Amino acid sequence: MKDKPTVEQYLKNIENGDFKAYKCQECDAVVAPPSGACYSCGGTDMEWTSVSGKGTLVSYTVIHVSPDEFVDEVPYYVAIVKLEEWTSVTGRLMGFDPLKPEELEIGMDLVLDYHKGKSGKTYLAFREP
Amino acid sequence: MVSAAQTKFGRLKGLTLREIFGEAVDKATIHSDIPKEDIQAAFIGTFIPEMLVHQGHTAPLLIDFAGMRGIPATRHEAACASGATALRSAIMAIESGLYDTVLVAAAEKMSSVSTNKATEALAAAADDKFESSMGLTFPGVFGIAAVSHMEEYGTTEEDMARIAVKAHKNASTNPLAQFQKPISLEKAMDSRYIAWPLKLFDCSPISDGGAALVLTSNEKAKEYTDTPVKIAGTGQASASMNLCDRAHLTSFDASIAAGKTAYEMADLGPEDIDVAVVHDCFTIAEIIASEDLGFFEPGHAVDAIRDGETELDGSKPINPMGGLKAVGHPVGATGVKQIVVIYKELLGEAGKNQVPNHDIGIAHNFGGTGASSVVTIMRRYDA
Ligand SMILES: [Zn+2]
Repeated sequence: MKDKPTVEQYLKNIENGDFKAYKCQECDAVVAPPSGACYSCGGTDMEWTSVSGKGTLVSYTVIHVSPDEFVDEVPYYVAIVKLEEWTSVTGRLMGFDPLKPEELEIGMDLVLDYHKGKSGKTYLAFREP
Repeated sequence: MVSAAQTKFGRLKGLTLREIFGEAVDKATIHSDIPKEDIQAAFIGTFIPEMLVHQGHTAPLLIDFAGMRGIPATRHEAACASGATALRSAIMAIESGLYDTVLVAAAEKMSSVSTNKATEALAAAADDKFESSMGLTFPGVFGIAAVSHMEEYGTTEEDMARIAVKAHKNASTNPLAQFQKPISLEKAMDSRYIAWPLKLFDCSPISDGGAALVLTSNEKAKEYTDTPVKIAGTGQASASMNLCDRAHLTSFDASIAAGKTAYEMADLGPEDIDVAVVHDCFTIAEIIASEDLGFFEPGHAVDAIRDGETELDGSKPINPMGGLKAVGHPVGATGVKQIVVIYKELLGEAGKNQVPNHDIGIAHNFGGTGASSVVTIMRRYDA
């Protein structure tokens, strides 16, 4: 894990069900998705870090009309989730009825998971703890 | 600004990108008694013709087709804000003293591909690695913003539908609009979800169209017209492409920053604006833009909409010709078309869509997920 983190490896980690975030070596801020510069201090020296997987729901939508690639998956949730480590990521939501989106609550607790979609891709996903 | 014109917006069957562009340029030059020979440089906006019409390097191609072979022509791309960034470069080129008279022109041809392919092309304006690659679409981006706005301020789906009703009402008297039929609140509310909570009538359509402007120095303006429109202020800002990297989702930082810069340059404030054109790619975007530009306190734009303040005859008319929502949204052309609307309104040439007070106008054009935003303030020659 001493290699300099890359976007390609970040995406591979998700595909392998092994999510890792970046950690700024200047100020210890956790950064995900990858950025070339730390949101907090602007530092560019990053290492990998693990996360607890705990987060809360910031906002969400349900996609009914999609590009061709995802057409077999509609309707599906896409959400912004704030991790316990104070960085937010975008992911799918699993275990909720996509036709009853009003039942979800902003701020609800979620845990990190993965979802293999019909597109063949593995998405970063979140579900109820 | 001494001339401004747009083509018809809509599905322009049988017309290619270059023909649409050429028509916009002709309307802004020869049809407006401005000789093409006077144009020293062209600032051109197109978003993604590579995917839509399989054509890159559009600036020399388009300016040649429009009959101005040889002059410097540069393409500007900032997704939906491409047009306004072209305008900013033109303003800077004149202010620098490099040129006296320049053309700003923009066009997009979108109806040549399927809706799914167009959706895919539009998604290229979001972050491919972390958001669009997991199936987040543009309606989805604004669906997320809508959910946050609803949670924070109690905005409702009906509030958003009212924006669509106003847009279609205004467009019904605009002969250049893609949709020219009023719709009822029920019809907007009953349309199907595209990205919950946004429905079909919350979304701008896929369109073809072009628009063009001629700008010249203050000294030369009188040679062309007795009634030029002045650029009073211009501002531009960027923000994170990813929604997940934003500190808040109920407003757009780039719009707030671009607005602040433009207001300061013009020495004006939101209270001075008589007529506004804001980037209503989705109904929620009009609500948020009118708060970001300071017309209403955050969360209160919907009160103004319910009270009719943003109607044609209201105290703060917004999108008087029908906006992107009902006039159409040929992506690269939109930012220039918005300037055409303000130009016509300020000169009192907006026909049935004329607003009562028209000294000062503002145009707000933003790109993609809101990662680019450009604000332009304009003033009538005698105001
Ligand atoms: Zn840092």
